[in-house]
Amino acid sequence: MSVERYLKPEVIRQIKRLDLRAQFIVKGFLHGLHASPFHGFSVEFSEHRKYTPGDDPKDIDWLIYAKTDKYYVKKFEAETNITGYLVMDLSRSMGYTYRQELTKFEYAVCLAAALCYLMIQQQDPVGLLTFDEKIRNSLAPKSRRRHLADVLSILSKLEPRGKTDVAASLVQISAMLRHASLIMIFSDLLADPEPVLQALHLLRHGGHDVIVFHILDEAETRFPFDGMVELEEPETRQRLQLDAGNFRRDYLAELEAFRERYRRECFQSRIDYVPLDTSMQFDKALTEYLASRRARY
Amino acid sequence: MALANPLLLLGGLLVAVPIVLHLIMRRKPRQFEFPALRLVESRHETNQRQLRLRHLLLLALRVAAIGLLALALARPTVRLSGAMGKQKDPVAAVMVFDASPRMDYRHQNRSRLEVAQEMALSILAGLPPESQIAVLDTRRQPGAFQVDRGAAKDRIRRLTTLANSQTLVETLDDAARLLATSELAQREVYVFTDLARPAWPDGSAARLRQRLDDLKAVGLYLIDVGVEEPANTALGELRLSEQVLSSTSSLAIETELFHRGPRAERSVELYLLGPELAPEKRAQATAELEEGRPRAIEFRLGSMEAGTHRGYVEIVGADGLAADDKRFFTVEVTPAWRVLLVAPHPADRYALFLAEALAPAVFRRTGQARFDCRVIAVDRLAAEPLESYGAICLLDPPALDPAAWQRLADFVADGGGLAVFLGRNAQQAASFNHATAQEVLAARLLRQARRPDGDLYLAPDAFDHPLLKSFAGLSGTVPWEAFPVFRYWQLEEPGEGVDVVVRYNDGRPAILERPLGRGRAVTVTTPVSDFPDRTAWNLLPVGDSWPFVILANDMMSYLVGASGRRLNYFAGQPALLQLDPQDDYRAYVLSLLEAPDAVDVRLTPDLKEKLLVITSTDQVGNYRVRAGGSGSGVDRGFSVNLAHEKTNLDRAGEDDLKRVFGEHPYQLARDRDQLQIKVAEGRAGRDLFPILIVMVALLLAAEHVVANRFYRGQ
Repeated sequence: MSVERYLKPEVIRQIKRLDLRAQFIVKGFLHGLHASPFHGFSVEFSEHRKYTPGDDPKDIDWLIYAKTDKYYVKKFEAETNITGYLVMDLSRSMGYTYRQELTKFEYAVCLAAALCYLMIQQQDPVGLLTFDEKIRNSLAPKSRRRHLADVLSILSKLEPRGKTDVAASLVQISAMLRHASLIMIFSDLLADPEPVLQALHLLRHGGHDVIVFHILDEAETRFPFDGMVELEEPETRQRLQLDAGNFRRDYLAELEAFRERYRRECFQSRIDYVPLDTSMQFDKALTEYLASRRARY
Repeated sequence: MALANPLLLLGGLLVAVPIVLHLIMRRKPRQFEFPALRLVESRHETNQRQLRLRHLLLLALRVAAIGLLALALARPTVRLSGAMGKQKDPVAAVMVFDASPRMDYRHQNRSRLEVAQEMALSILAGLPPESQIAVLDTRRQPGAFQVDRGAAKDRIRRLTTLANSQTLVETLDDAARLLATSELAQREVYVFTDLARPAWPDGSAARLRQRLDDLKAVGLYLIDVGVEEPANTALGELRLSEQVLSSTSSLAIETELFHRGPRAERSVELYLLGPELAPEKRAQATAELEEGRPRAIEFRLGSMEAGTHRGYVEIVGADGLAADDKRFFTVEVTPAWRVLLVAPHPADRYALFLAEALAPAVFRRTGQARFDCRVIAVDRLAAEPLESYGAICLLDPPALDPAAWQRLADFVADGGGLAVFLGRNAQQAASFNHATAQEVLAARLLRQARRPDGDLYLAPDAFDHPLLKSFAGLSGTVPWEAFPVFRYWQLEEPGEGVDVVVRYNDGRPAILERPLGRGRAVTVTTPVSDFPDRTAWNLLPVGDSWPFVILANDMMSYLVGASGRRLNYFAGQPALLQLDPQDDYRAYVLSLLEAPDAVDVRLTPDLKEKLLVITSTDQVGNYRVRAGGSGSGVDRGFSVNLAHEKTNLDRAGEDDLKRVFGEHPYQLARDRDQLQIKVAEGRAGRDLFPILIVMVALLLAAEHVVANRFYRGQ
C-alpha cells in the first residue's frame, strides 16, 4: 500500500500516537518526492546514513559499499541551522469541524508534529509556542532527537478553548524572539485581519521568516448548508439566521476576499501564506515549508 | 358574476390558517456552530431581506391557493353578454339583417344574404319555446314581434336586399326599442352582417349605446357572414358635366374604377337608350386595375337632339358584387338657350364682352354655342317680346320707367332669369329705387364707391351656390386680384330673401340674388361692359379673363334654369322634376325602365309650383315620367343610383365596433358552432371553475417550488 495515503487526514485520524502520525506523514511525503529534501541544503559532510528509497543514487558512497556490501549515502550538514517555532492557535474555534475526521486544531497539530519531525531530522532546532489571548506554552527550540518527544507530548495534550487574540499574541511573540527564526503559525485567523496583518508585518520586520498556515474547516471553505439555518459563533455565542442555499455564493465571495487580502498582504511582505482546509492532504503544507527552506539557501 | 354554491365561499375563511401558522408557528431553522460567522455578518442584511420576502411570497401563495380553491368550489359564472338565466328560459330575440346591396356579394355561389338566412333559420330552430321573435332588416320601417315562429321563418325566407337601406346602427336602435317592449327577462339581438365598414358608422352610435345601457342585460351577437378578402370591381359615381345641356354642347361623363383583388383588366361600356328604349353602345374604355389604385374613366358624348336622354355605364363581365357594376344617368337636352342682352347705345359695343363670353364668335359660326344671344339697345326693350328668352341681361342700364321694370318682374316671376349689371348709367338712382324696380333688384342703390388704387376685387368665399359651381374645385387658385374693380355701386342693407353670392374683398356685396316667383334675378354692382380706358369701372372682362368667362357662363346657366335642375339622384332621395310652364297635365305616370313588369305609379304634380315630387326612389335605375300619351305628351325622366360608399366592402375592425358599442359587451361569431357556444355562455354565463382550478394548480406548484428551495435539505 502506498505510503502516500498517510498524507490523508482521514487515515491519520486512525493513528492514535502523535509521534507515529508525524512519522507517517513525513514518510508518506518524502516517498512522494523525487529528490530527497535532505540533500543540497548544506555543503559540509557530516555522517553516513543508510540509503532509503528517494535518496539520489549519486549520493551513494560506493567506497563504503565496496567495504560493507551495503548502501550508504553521504549526509551533508548545513552550515547554519535555522531555528523554527511552531505557533499554535488555541482558540475555541480551532476545535471545530462540521463533518471532517480532524478538527482544525487536530489538523494543525498533525501538521506541526510532522514539521517538527522533519526539522529535527534535519537537526534544525524547533520550539513550540501556543497562544489564545496571550502566550500559554513556550518550549525553547532544541534540535536533539529527544526534544521531538517533548514537543509532541505537549502538542498532544493541548486543547483549544476560550477566546483568542491572534494579533496581540503575535506581537508578544515578536517581542520574545531575539534571533531571526522561522515562525510557523497555525491558526484559522478568524479575527479582524487588520491588527493580525500588522502583527505579521512586525514579525517580518523583526527579521523572521514567517509561514502562515491558515487552517479552516472544510465547512468553512465550502459552506455546505442548505435551507433555513441558524449559525452560532462558538466563542462569542453570537447567532444569525439565514437562508443558507441562497447565501452560499455571497459567503464564498466573502471568504475569497478574506483570503485574498491575506494572500496579497503576505506576498507584499514576503510572508508565506498557505490557505488550507481540513479536507486537504498534508503534503501541501509540508511542501510549503520545504520550499521556504530551500529559498533560504 | 353568479355563484352556484355560495356557501362554499365560507371555505375562504381557511386562508386564515397559513397566516396564523406564519405568525405563531414559524418553522425553526436548524442550528449549527460556525466559527467563521464574521464572514457571514457583512452580507447578512441583504440575505435577511430576501428571506423575509420569500416568507411573504410563500404566505401569499398559500393564502391565494386556499382562497382561489374556495372560490372555484363555489362554481362562479361570469356574465359575458346578456341576462343570466337558465338555458331553456324563453327569450325575446330580435334578428337584425343587413339588407344593403353589399349582402348580394356572392362567394362560393352563395350571396351573403343567403348565408345569413340559413344561419338565422338554424338559430330560430334552437330558440327556446315561448320565445318572442322579431325579424328586422335595414329598411326604414317600424319593427314588431312576429306572431309565431312560422311567421318569423317566412319573413326570413322573404328577405331581399334593397338599395335604400339605413345603417345597421339605426336598425339596431329600432331593435333595442322593440326589445324594451318585451316583458321577458332574457333578451337577445342577433345581427347578421357582412361586417363592412359602411354598416357601422359611429355617428348615431351614442343613442344606440344609451338605449342598450337602458335595457341593461341584452345578449348581443354579431354573426359575421362576410368574406375576409372580397374581390370586386366597382364603378364610382358618375359625374356629368351638365344634367341639362343645350343641343349644341357635348356631355362629359367622368367616373372611377375601384378594384379589390388580384390585378385584372376590365372594360367599361357606355350605353344610351334609343327611342324604343333599346340600349345602344356609344363608347367603351378598358383599364388595367390593381388594388387600392382607382382608375379614372371619361366618356364624351357629342351633341344630342333635344329631349330626355337616358343611359348607363356598365362594367363588362360579372364579379362578386353586381350592384356596383352599373351606374345610370339621365340628361335633358334643350335647344341653345336664348339670352337677351340689353345695352345702351351702341348696344353691340356695350354687349361685346358678355356676348363673346356666352357665345364666342367661333362657336356661333360652327353652331356650337350654348347660348343664343340677341343684343338690343335699351330703348327697344319695350317693343321686344320677352317670352321666348330664357334670360335677360341689362348691361349698365339707364333709368327705366316703372312699366319696363314691371315687365321684367313678370318675366322673372314666370320662371325667367334676369341679370342687372349696374354701372355709370344708373345715375338716376330714384328709378332704380322705385318700388317696381326693387322687385327684381337686390337692394336700394346708395352711392357710387371709388377704389382708384385697384386693390378691390371679387373675393368669393363659399362655393355652394350654383352660380359658382365651376370654381368649387379651384378655390384659392383663381387670380381674382388680377381683375381689379375701381368703381361700384354701394347698396343699402339687402332685405329679406336676398342672398349675397359674391362679395368684394372688403366685404361689400358684389353679386346678389333675389328669387322671385319661379325665376331668379341677379344684381351685379359693377358693369361688365367697360372698355379698359381711364374711366373703366373695372377690368373684369379684359385680358386673360377666364374667370369672367366661367362666371358669366355659370351665371347664365343658372339664370336659364339649367344648373339648378337635377336629374340624377341616390336611392332614397326624393326626386324633384321641374315641369315646363306650359305643362298642365293633372297626372303623370312613373315607371322604372329596369323593372318593366313593375306596376306603374301615378303621380300628381304641384301645378302651382310646376313641380313633380317623386318619393318612391328606393330602387336604382332609369325612371321614366310620362303624361299626355306617346305622341305630343311629356316624356321625361331621372336616374337613381347607389352611392359608391354603400358598396364599400372594407371590413370593419374591432376598433370600429368598439366605437359603436363602447363598453357594451357583444359576441362575434363566424359559424354556427361558435355562435352556439357564445349563446350558451351568454344565457348561462361562463363557468370559471376550470380556469380557477388551473390557477390553483399553478399556485400550488409555485408554492411547492418556493418551499422546496427554501427548506431544502431539512
